[in-house]
Amino acid sequence: MGTDLLSFIIFLPAFVAFILMVTTTKVEDVRNIAFITTIITLVLVLKLYLNYDPESGMQFVINVPWILKYGINYYVGVDGFSLTVLMMIAILIPSAYLLLWDGRTKGYWINMLLVQTGVTGALLSLDIILFYFFWEMMLLPVFLMIGNFGTGDKIFTTIKVTVYTMFGSLLMFVAIIYLGVAYFNEFGLWSFQYSDLTQITNLTYAEEFWLFLAFLTAFAIKIPLFPFHTWIMDTYKNAPTGAVFLLSSIMAKLGIYAVVRFMIPLFPEIYIQFSSWFVFIGLFGLIYFGIAALMQDDIKRMFAYSSASHLSFIAAGIFSLNDYGVSGALYLVIAHAIATGALFLLIGILYHQTGYKTIKDLGGIAKQAPIFTFIFAIMLFANVGLPGTNGFVAELLIIFGIYQFNPIMGYVAAVTVLVAASFMLWMFQRAILQKREGPALKMRDLKIKEILGLAPWVILVILMGVYPDPFIDKFEPSVIHYLTDILKLGAAK
Amino acid sequence: MMEVMNILPVLIVLTGALVSMFLSMYDKFSMKYHIGVSVLFLVLALAFAVYPAGEIYAIQPFSDYFNDLLIFDTYSNFFTIALIVGALLVILIGEHYLQAHSFFKGEFLSILMFSLFGMILLANANELITAYIALEIASFAVYVMVGFNTQNPIRVEAVFKYLVLGSFIGAFYLLGVVLIFGATGTTQLTELTQYILSHSNGELTLVYIGLTLIIFTFFFKIAAFPFQSWVLDVYRGAPILVTAYMASVFKIAIFSFFLRAFLQSFPTLQDFWDPILTVLIVFTLTLGTWLAITQKIVKRMLAASSIVHTGYLLLAFIAVGENIESAYSIIFYLIAYLLTAIGSFGLVSHIIAQTKVRVTYDDFKGLAQERPFLAAMMTIFMFSLAGIPSTIGFIAKLYVFTEAINAGYIYLAIYAILATCVSVYYYFKLIAMMYFYPSNKELEEETFDDSRISTYAIALIAILIIWGGVGSALLFFMPIPSIDGIFELVQISVKSLFL
Repeated sequence: MGTDLLSFIIFLPAFVAFILMVTTTKVEDVRNIAFITTIITLVLVLKLYLNYDPESGMQFVINVPWILKYGINYYVGVDGFSLTVLMMIAILIPSAYLLLWDGRTKGYWINMLLVQTGVTGALLSLDIILFYFFWEMMLLPVFLMIGNFGTGDKIFTTIKVTVYTMFGSLLMFVAIIYLGVAYFNEFGLWSFQYSDLTQITNLTYAEEFWLFLAFLTAFAIKIPLFPFHTWIMDTYKNAPTGAVFLLSSIMAKLGIYAVVRFMIPLFPEIYIQFSSWFVFIGLFGLIYFGIAALMQDDIKRMFAYSSASHLSFIAAGIFSLNDYGVSGALYLVIAHAIATGALFLLIGILYHQTGYKTIKDLGGIAKQAPIFTFIFAIMLFANVGLPGTNGFVAELLIIFGIYQFNPIMGYVAAVTVLVAASFMLWMFQRAILQKREGPALKMRDLKIKEILGLAPWVILVILMGVYPDPFIDKFEPSVIHYLTDILKLGAAK
Repeated sequence: MMEVMNILPVLIVLTGALVSMFLSMYDKFSMKYHIGVSVLFLVLALAFAVYPAGEIYAIQPFSDYFNDLLIFDTYSNFFTIALIVGALLVILIGEHYLQAHSFFKGEFLSILMFSLFGMILLANANELITAYIALEIASFAVYVMVGFNTQNPIRVEAVFKYLVLGSFIGAFYLLGVVLIFGATGTTQLTELTQYILSHSNGELTLVYIGLTLIIFTFFFKIAAFPFQSWVLDVYRGAPILVTAYMASVFKIAIFSFFLRAFLQSFPTLQDFWDPILTVLIVFTLTLGTWLAITQKIVKRMLAASSIVHTGYLLLAFIAVGENIESAYSIIFYLIAYLLTAIGSFGLVSHIIAQTKVRVTYDDFKGLAQERPFLAAMMTIFMFSLAGIPSTIGFIAKLYVFTEAINAGYIYLAIYAILATCVSVYYYFKLIAMMYFYPSNKELEEETFDDSRISTYAIALIAILIIWGGVGSALLFFMPIPSIDGIFELVQISVKSLFL
C-alpha cells in the first residue's frame, strides 16, 4: 500500500459504490457497507495524519501520466492545508451517516459514497485538470440526491443549481486551458500541474486579471460569496438533509480551499492587489447575509443564510494577507463545517419528527429532548463563536488578521460578529427553549446511535476551542510557506 | 499485392451490398439472417482495414486504371475503420429495432452498405469529381433510408425536403468544380495546391468562388448555419436508426474528405474564410442551442444538439489554419461524437422498439425505476454529450477548446463553452425526467426484453465512452491501454497526408 495510500483514500468509496450499485439490493446492507467503508477511509486518513510531517511540504505524492499528449497527470499529494480539511471530511461523513441512518434508499447511500470520492479527489489533486475532473464529479451525485429525494419544486432547484455551478466551472475550465496554452507557448511542452503553471511569466496583466476572475467566479459560486449566492436559497430549502450537509459543510469548504491552493500561487500579484476589495466583499457578505438570516422564519433557510455569512467571513480572512487571518480562516473552515454540519443534521431530525421547521411553530423542544437541546446549543455556540468553542478561536484569529490588514475593517468585523450571535441566540430562545404546546410534543430525544455520531464533533468543538495548538501546528507551516515564499510577504508581520 | 490489400475493404463492402441485395429477393430469409450476413461482411472488411493500421503510408493503387483518382493512405484507412465500426455499431444496436418494425426489409441493409461504400470512397477520394460521385452514392442511399418508414406520414416531408435540398446543394458543388476547372485546368487536389501556391491572390478569384460554392455543400451536409433548416424535420421523419447513422457516420464521412481537402490544398485560403467561418460558428452554436432548448421530443433535441456539435467541430476547423494540431482534435472529436451519438440515438431507438410510445421528454419519466441499467447508460451518453469529466466527450471538448485557444480564437472558444453550459440544461433535463419522476402507470405493465444484442452493444458503447474519459487514470488498479493510443493513431493518420 504505502505510497498508494492517497489513491485508496480517494477511490475506495467510489469503488464500493460501483460494487453496491450492481450487486445487493437490500437498503440496510447497502447502508452498513457504505458506513463501514467510510470508517475504513477514516482509519486510512488517521494513518496518514500520524505519518505526516508538518515541516516537509507536499507528501505521499503519486504522479503517473494520464493523458500524455497534454501532460495531464494523475498527480496527488497532501500538505498541511489538505490534510486538515481531509481529516475534517473523514470524520464528518461517517458521523453524518449515523444521523441519517433510517429511512433512506439505496441511491442515497451510493451517492454519498460518490460524493466522498469527488471531494477527496478534488482536495488532493495537484494537477489542475484532475482537480477539475473531481470538482465536476462531486456535483453530479448531489444533483441526483436533490432531484430524487428533495422536496418542493425539486426539479427546478436541481436544474438551477446544476446550471449555476456548471457555469462557474466552465469559466474556470476556459481559464485552465488558457493557462495550459500559455505554458505551452512559453516552454514548448504541455503541463497542467499547478506547480508548473506558476512558472508562467508571459501573461499580460489584463490576461492574468481575467483568469483570476474566472477562477474566482467558479469558487465564489461554490462558497457562495456575494453576489453569487442566489442558488443557495432554493437549494437549501428543497434539498434533502444529506445533500444540504454535503453542500454547506463539505463542498463550500472546498471552494475556500481552492482559493488558497490554486489562486494564491497562480496569481500572487493580483491577489495582493485586490485583496482589500475581497476583504470588503467578505465583510459586506457577513453583514448582508447576517441581516437576511435575522429575517427568516424557516430555520433551515436561516442556517443557509448564516452559513453564507460565515463563509463570507472566512473569505475575508483568506484575503487578509497575514498569518492570523489565513490560519484563522482555515480554522474556521473546520469549525464551521462541524457546527453547520451538525446543525443541518439536527434540523433534519427535528423536521423529520415534528414536521415543522419554522420558528413560530416550534418551541418547547428543550423539555421533550434535553440531549438534543444540549448538543444543539453547543453547536450553536460554536457557530456564533462563544469562548471555549473552536468558533471563538477561529473568529478571534480572523478579526486579528483583518485588524492587521486594516484597523477600521477590523473593528467592523468585530462588531458584525455580534449580528450573528444575536439572531442565533434569539432563534434558539424562540424555537427551542420557550414553553409552548404543539408539534414539539412529537419530538423524541436523540438515540444512542445519533449521540455516538455527534460525540466526536462535540469533543472536537471543545478540544479545538480550549487547546488549539496541535491543530494549528499541522497547517501553520504551510500557511507561512504560502505567505512568505509565494506571496513574498513577511509572515505574521 | 499490397495494392489489392488496400482496396479490399471497399470491395468487400460493395460485395456485401450486392449479395445482400440479391438475398433480399427471397422472402424466406428473415431479418435476422440479413443482419447476420451484413455483419459478417462488415467484420470481414474491418479485418482487412485494421490490418495495416499503425504504419504510415500513402499509395495510389492501380494508377493505370484509377488514374490517381483514389488515394489510400493512413488517413483514409483510419476513417475507413471508423466508418465501418460506426455502421457495425448502428446495425448491432438497431438489431432489435430492425426486427420489431415490419417495414424494414432486407434491402435496408443492402442500401446501408451501399451508402457505406460511398462514404469509404469519399474518404479515399483524391479528386473533386470522384468525391462528388462518392458523396452522391452515399447521399442517395441515405435519401432512400430516410423514407423507409412507410407507416409514418411525416417521412414524405422528410425525404422530399432532404432530397430536393440535397440535390440542389449538389448542383452548387458541381458549379464550383466547373469554376475551379475553368480557372486551373485540374480537379486533382495535389495539382490544385500547386496552382494555388504558384499564383497571386488576384488571379485566384474564380478559385475562391468555386471553393466557396463547394464549401456550401460541406456546410449543408454537416448542418451548419445557414443550411441547418432541414435537420430537425429530416431527423424527425427518418427511422431513428437512420438518424443515428446520419448524425454520426455520415458526418464523419463528410469531414473525412473536406478535412483532407482543407489540409492539403487550401491552407493559404484561410484568411479569406476566416471571417465567414467565425460568423457561421457563432450562428450555428446559437441556433442549435436555441432549437435544442425548445424541443419537447427527445429525438428532435438530439438532432438539434447535433447542430451544436457541428459548431464545436467548426471551431476546430477554423483553427486548422493556425495550428495543425486542431486537425487532430477534429478527428478525435468525431470519434467521440460517433460513439456518443450512436449510443444515445441507439438507446432511444431501443426503447422505442419496445414500447412504441417513448418519444417526448415526459415519456421518459420514471425510466430509472423500470430499467435502471438503460437509464444509467442514457445518463452516461448525456454526460458525454454535455462534456462532463470522466467521459470521452470531456476529453474531446478539452482537445478542441485547447487547440482553438492555442490558435488564438479565445472569444469563439468562450462562446462555445457558454453554449456547452446551456447544453447542460437540455441534457440534464432528460436525466431529471428519468430519475426524479415516478413512472407512468400504463407503461409499467409492459415487459422489457433486455437480453438482446442491442442491449449488449449499447453497454459496450457506454463502457467505451467511460474508458475514453478515464482510461489510464485507473492505471494502478488495472492494466488497460490509455487514450494516448488514439491520439497517436490520429496524428499518424494526419501526417500521412503530407507524404
